[in-house]
Amino acid sequence: MTLAGLPLSILALLLGAALVPLLARSGRGVAAWSSAAVLGIAALAVAPLAPAALAGTVTVLRWPWLPEWGLDLAFRLDGLGLLFAILILGIGQLVILYAAYYMPPEDGLGRFFGILLAFAGGMLGVVLSENLLLMVIFWEITSLASFLLIAYRHDASEARIAARMALAVTGGGGLALLAGVLLLGRIAGSLELSAVLAAGEAVRAHPLYPVALALVLLGAFTKSAQFPFHFWLPNAMAAPTPVSAYLHSATMVKAGVFLLARLYPVLSGTELWFALVSGTGAVTLAYGAYVALLKHDLKGLLAYSTISHLGLITLLIGLESPLSTVAAVFHIINHAIFKASLFMAAGIIDHECGTRDMRRINGMFRYMPQTAVLGMVAAAAMAGVPLLNGFLSKEMFFAETLQEPPVAGYAYALPAFATFAGVLSVAYSLRFIHDVFFHGEPVGLPRTPHEPPLWMRVPVGILSLLCLVVGLLPQSSVGALLRTASAAALGGPPPPYELAPWHGFNLPLAMSAVALAGGALWYRFRGVLFDLHERFAPLVGGPAAFERVYNAAAAAARLLMAAMDTGRLRRYVALLLLAALGLGLHAVAGAGLAPPHGAVIPADPVAIGALVALAVGAFGCAGLHRRRPLAVVFASVVGLIVSLTFLRFSAPDLALTQLSVEVVTIVLLLLALRFLPEEARATDAPRRRRLGDAAIAGAGGLGAAALAYALLTRPFETVSGFFVEQSVPGGGGTNVVNVILVDFRGFDTLGEIWVLALAALGAHALLEGLRLRPHALRAASEADRHPVMLAMLMRPLLPLALTVAFHILLRGHNLPGGGFIAGLITGIVLILQYLAVGLDITSARLRVDHLRLFALGLALAAGTGMASMAFGAPFLTSAHGYVPIPLVGRTHLASALAFDLGVYLVVVATVLLVLSELGRLSQRELRPAACGGQG
Amino acid sequence: MMNWTLALPEAALACAGLAILGAGVLPRRHDMFFPISMAVIGALVLAGVLVLGQGDGAALAGQYVSDAFARFSKVLVLIGAALALTLALDFNQTDRDLARFEYPVLILFAAIGMMLMVSANDLMTLYLGLELQSLAAYVLAAFNRDSERSAEAGLKYFVLGALASGLLLYGMSLVYGFVGTTSFDRLAEALTAEHAASLGLVTALVFVLAGLAFKISAVPFHMWAPDVYEGAPTPVTAFFASAPKLAAVALLTRVLTQPFGELSAQWGQVLWLVSAGSMILGAFAAIGQRNIKRLMAYSSIGNVGYALIGLVAAASADPAVRSEGVRALLFYMAIYLLMTIGAFAVLAAMRRRGRPVEEIEDLAGLARSDIGMAVWMLVFMFAMAGVPPLAGFWSKLFVFRAAIEGGYVWLAVIGVLTSVVAAYYYVRIVRVMFFDAPGAAGALDARPASLTVVMAATGLFTALFSVAPGPLLAAAQAAVAAIAG
Repeated sequence: MTLAGLPLSILALLLGAALVPLLARSGRGVAAWSSAAVLGIAALAVAPLAPAALAGTVTVLRWPWLPEWGLDLAFRLDGLGLLFAILILGIGQLVILYAAYYMPPEDGLGRFFGILLAFAGGMLGVVLSENLLLMVIFWEITSLASFLLIAYRHDASEARIAARMALAVTGGGGLALLAGVLLLGRIAGSLELSAVLAAGEAVRAHPLYPVALALVLLGAFTKSAQFPFHFWLPNAMAAPTPVSAYLHSATMVKAGVFLLARLYPVLSGTELWFALVSGTGAVTLAYGAYVALLKHDLKGLLAYSTISHLGLITLLIGLESPLSTVAAVFHIINHAIFKASLFMAAGIIDHECGTRDMRRINGMFRYMPQTAVLGMVAAAAMAGVPLLNGFLSKEMFFAETLQEPPVAGYAYALPAFATFAGVLSVAYSLRFIHDVFFHGEPVGLPRTPHEPPLWMRVPVGILSLLCLVVGLLPQSSVGALLRTASAAALGGPPPPYELAPWHGFNLPLAMSAVALAGGALWYRFRGVLFDLHERFAPLVGGPAAFERVYNAAAAAARLLMAAMDTGRLRRYVALLLLAALGLGLHAVAGAGLAPPHGAVIPADPVAIGALVALAVGAFGCAGLHRRRPLAVVFASVVGLIVSLTFLRFSAPDLALTQLSVEVVTIVLLLLALRFLPEEARATDAPRRRRLGDAAIAGAGGLGAAALAYALLTRPFETVSGFFVEQSVPGGGGTNVVNVILVDFRGFDTLGEIWVLALAALGAHALLEGLRLRPHALRAASEADRHPVMLAMLMRPLLPLALTVAFHILLRGHNLPGGGFIAGLITGIVLILQYLAVGLDITSARLRVDHLRLFALGLALAAGTGMASMAFGAPFLTSAHGYVPIPLVGRTHLASALAFDLGVYLVVVATVLLVLSELGRLSQRELRPAACGGQG
Repeated sequence: MMNWTLALPEAALACAGLAILGAGVLPRRHDMFFPISMAVIGALVLAGVLVLGQGDGAALAGQYVSDAFARFSKVLVLIGAALALTLALDFNQTDRDLARFEYPVLILFAAIGMMLMVSANDLMTLYLGLELQSLAAYVLAAFNRDSERSAEAGLKYFVLGALASGLLLYGMSLVYGFVGTTSFDRLAEALTAEHAASLGLVTALVFVLAGLAFKISAVPFHMWAPDVYEGAPTPVTAFFASAPKLAAVALLTRVLTQPFGELSAQWGQVLWLVSAGSMILGAFAAIGQRNIKRLMAYSSIGNVGYALIGLVAAASADPAVRSEGVRALLFYMAIYLLMTIGAFAVLAAMRRRGRPVEEIEDLAGLARSDIGMAVWMLVFMFAMAGVPPLAGFWSKLFVFRAAIEGGYVWLAVIGVLTSVVAAYYYVRIVRVMFFDAPGAAGALDARPASLTVVMAATGLFTALFSVAPGPLLAAAQAAVAAIAG
């Protein structure tokens, strides 16, 4: 079960992240010790597997998690993973020791160590994942932990901005990586690293290879702060220094280059890979090194030097020779060691001096000689001074540049560039050494610096010692690890190379010498550079660029919104119609026009007359929309013509329905309009806009007409034959429409009266107890004048109309009519009654609670449906027969009549409800005092 | 064929609705909001239980269908409606105008409409369900009648919604005109013929698509969402962003994959544009927003764009990709529903001295005054940004995966890039809560218990989803098998 050590180590760290903040309540010491213990447990869990990995064996542990989604909890330990695990767990221990003394005593450390452990868990997960998706998940956890750690001192606004920037860049890169990994998985057929690594040929030959590569590189470059995504890293220096040492130099930023190394066997070997990876690496190397010298902030210098070194590693991975990859892996080790040491030294100096400005920190050698020596060793390693570890990997880099040139004919270009980069790196290392530890006396420090506590120096000492050890005894110290890690990265045995502190006098050594001498000169004449920088630098700063991009995006978003999101209904309607038109055109363009077939009936005078009336109605409504009542009248013309059209094409039922619906809605609309001023305010819409609107409306109308034409001129077969045949035997009625409504499609009708009831409920909810603004008063004050003639007329009309309604309801099943129409007719009568005598009298006579009427209607309709089930028939099955009714005679009745009655009641109740709400509304306006309340 | 009992959940809910409506009307008292709300929540839960016991089959002359897909969607719709109503319990009671019994009843009717939508097997049933839901929604948007913004929101929603309904109806009547049937089953049979993809039919389909795109507020039919989300009372907004959206997406999925499955080449293209447009607009438009409800409106537009990636993949010729696409879509919507209700619970709790506040700046320093709420909001925001191991990561992962499997790589790339932009504004909210100093106006009021319940329930789901993703995945898998095999 040693295999389970891999997930256990990660689990231990993640659990520790949750536990340590709790334990920290017992004191800082407990927090530090428990964190160290957690890291130790994680190391112990991995340790039994280490020898096998060192020997070159790949250990894979797989637990099925979501197998059908291609996601297993699969872990893997090979050389590369082992190397990173050692870095993560080893440097982690030193950082915890260091942080325990570095962090201010008032900080309880629980939260700090908790996040740090979560980070370590995530990072270990990244390097130990066999499943690529799992790796992406851990990858995002590291981004998140980094975000939280950068924002640890969240009182400082720079820390907050930096944290958000870092998360946006690295988290976003993580998403790109996710897409890239999914794409890789699709190409390779599996998300397991072993399978992907084996499918290198197929991946590179796939047409989607460039997309996958770009997405993966986006993830790697953002994480490893490669140009032009580097800018988050210097800002991330707002984090406490132990975080900078751990995340932002030794481990997290290495995740990007780790990924490059991990996928090297799959993705490398193409022109695109070389161009993108080595190109980006070279630019980052030079740019970072150049800017590093110009930073006055101690940590800023180190941040840019980190960017530069990451660029170097990227460049090495991008170069097309196996040996350069070995150099890259070697430099990963060396850089982690010396840069962590440098950051810790910088933290000590910051801690002791209260500032990180190198123009004020001078002559520290006198105040803290031990720290100074340790810092100088590490800085010399960074500069590539012989006998230190940085020298060895840099020599390997120089030697690589002298190999076969990738672009023929420019054999000198790469070595020259490498030497120049070396010059820059020596220059900033020199500045770190000279400016800080020598160069006269400190300037205006808040306190007198002295040596820090011993335990703060110990981690720095260990790391600086490692620089020396690796530099002097490379083969025996890291030789085995480097070989197995390189083999894992290359996907095969590494080429022969020799690890030795001394290779004799050769060209790379000469390049180193030139770099050292040139660096000294560059540093000597840095004043010129500073002047230039001060003049031009603010123009090209990365964070500034980020802010500019962000601001530009925000401004563009606002512009877009100003155009689209105006809050104006007119604009929205126009957009909606335009979008519908556009989609319609898209469809036409996609499907192509089909020739119409089928005869067209010639137009007769009646049809032309109707057409003209329709046009007048439509244009009149649109043209006179400001004079509202008039516009409504024009709209009613349209409705009338439509019902006449139904009549002409022998659909009396539809015509009757349309007619009564039309009357009720128009009258209710007119009633509602009384609460608005008669004439709408004229808008000062420019002519251009109105013409535009007219064009949109015209295009919409023409499109609809064209579609109708296409529809009408094609052969037509429908299901109507079925309904006509089945009407009498199945539904017991000769009026097909009604039979369809109450029997064949009774379910729909039931639903529709629900909709109607809901509309009424909505009107009730919105109107009940509502009080209007004073401007409605004028219109409403004229409301209750009741024409005497109408009142007189209503007396005989009311019973007559109710009889008609009853008749229509009864005969509905066989002849045009039915519950819906009958309900509407009753509604019309009630409206008329209301207009004739007013609300008070009408409601006094009609003592019906409309809400109860609803309930009754709905219950009746639903009950009829269920009743049929009691007889073992399906829902809403109709029974029918001849029933003698007194006074009416023998009548053919179907049980669906009860259903129809339900429909009738609901329709009547709806009209009644809207009517009474509107009436009460105007009464409240007229008698505000009587109603009480305050407007 | 008329197997009525199949529709028992809807029937039961409708009867319960009738009874509850009666109970609300008859006492003629003004404090019926709370008891009626509790009764409605009870009815919704009961309907949920009934849904779980529902069998497979078609009912009511084939107009209504019950399958795993419908049940999956219905359970989520009911959960969404119940949570959205729970959200309103305390919120509405602080305002006389909101604390009226019609509110829960409207939500109940809307829930019936949504259940019909996802069970519709006929264009008429579809329209019926949609209108039942929409009418309730129009009224809910304007429910705060004395607020000008709420009334305006309701009016805009109604006018635009009526237009969109018109488009939908127009498309449906064209479909009927060209094919001669409204039944999904017969449409599917008729459309397998070679001459199916005639110009008229494609145009008809496009109008149906436009009408439904409006309901899910997908670009370019999204314009109502920001105004309505901002203007409507917060619990109403929470409701709009959750259950109706899921129901409409499910409806769209069924319509496109079943009767119009043969026209997938046509609708696939249109949806590609709709999806990409929604993601882009959702990401960029939210950047400049100050009002958090408006921001959530754009976020929901963007989220619909991501969900639709799954539907685009469902247009693929490869059956495996099709089912993966639908599965990703359902999964996305399920997680989105719970995530978004959680976030709105936090929004509903944003009050200062009793008055609702809605600016992002009002959250400043929340971590100091109410760490619990800040943490829940952090969970929701990070989940929406797609940060693992929160639930939102999985939903994004699966839609991207479906897109890539289906060969829609560029759609996935657009999705990733817009996620990056969107992550930025989600993180901004986190930053404001945790790192900014509280404003001069003081801390927010203490949050009521009902909101804490909603936050905790959805928050725990979102945070701990990775521990046991199996059940939801299995349910989605079963649902997919029912419609896209």
